[in-house]
Amino acid sequence: MKKIIFALVLLIFSSATSLLAFEGDKFGKPLTLTEPTKVSEIEKSPQAFVGKRVLISGTVVEVCSTRGCWLDIASDTPFEKIQAKVTDGVIVFPMSARGRTAYVEGVVEELKFSKKDALKYQRHKAREKGIPFDPATVTGPQTIYRLRAHGAVIEK
Amino acid sequence: MKWRKWNNIIHRDLGYLCFGLTIIYAISGIAVNHIDIWNPSYTIERIQSQLAKPVSKEQLSRATIFEILAELDETGLYKNSFRPDPQTLQIFVEGNTLTVNLGTNTVLQEKVTPRPVLHQMNFLHLNHPKKLWSWFADLYAIFLGALAVTGLFVLRGKKGITGRGAWLTTAGILLPLLFLGLYL
Repeated sequence: MKKIIFALVLLIFSSATSLLAFEGDKFGKPLTLTEPTKVSEIEKSPQAFVGKRVLISGTVVEVCSTRGCWLDIASDTPFEKIQAKVTDGVIVFPMSARGRTAYVEGVVEELKFSKKDALKYQRHKAREKGIPFDPATVTGPQTIYRLRAHGAVIEK
Repeated sequence: MKWRKWNNIIHRDLGYLCFGLTIIYAISGIAVNHIDIWNPSYTIERIQSQLAKPVSKEQLSRATIFEILAELDETGLYKNSFRPDPQTLQIFVEGNTLTVNLGTNTVLQEKVTPRPVLHQMNFLHLNHPKKLWSWFADLYAIFLGALAVTGLFVLRGKKGITGRGAWLTTAGILLPLLFLGLYL
């Protein structure tokens, strides 16, 4: 009996702590994973994560200002970030998310661009950010790894 | 005819009922149609300025960040900071993002403000609230369909659906088909 009570208490405690961990504004589908994967791990060996469902967390450092359709999440190591992309209109992230901590769940995807497509993609991204685009920054084909996000919680 | 009386009553009352939301959808529709050339929901004010004192790349502390904010008279609530590259520091404050170039000591501030009225209209039109609003918007769409159908039978005679109305309705159906032929 004592064992059952102990197990129940443990279960309640663990569910409560996992719920507490993701308090904030909720977007899209509810988060199902509880253990975040470090962004640095994904950046280090992205191929190993392609197609895998992960939960990442970090500071939101950029938001798509026109459609709210992506977030850039800061890595746990300096000078790195990863983009979390959602289908336009399905989830709309607010601009006020910048600087807040986010938990984002989704599947890691790989985008392979020829130089021509990379130019198009980077030009589009620059337009979304409202910044000038320098074509010289694209020197050849590009491979981009990002998270196809299904749900997110952004702390208040 | 009795059915026409009911048709007109439904058309009239649905028209009144849908007025507010139709205006919201019409204005927001134009606003979001041109998303490539402007931001329909936010105004983003960009201010470039120069810091008086150079900021050390190596000794970036919370105190340094607050010194920068004080120099720029930025009193908004500090949220966080980020180093996108060794040359850049980003500071996030409520409603403002400051990008400090640590090489040139220049700061680019991006002050984001939701556009009054338009932000709220787009919020509803693009179904950001989801939940109950999705059902309400579905109901509105059904009402719009009913408005369109009942509208065909409001008038009888030359100006009704058997006369002028037939031509205009046909044109209204052909126009989207023409664009489909052009662009699809």
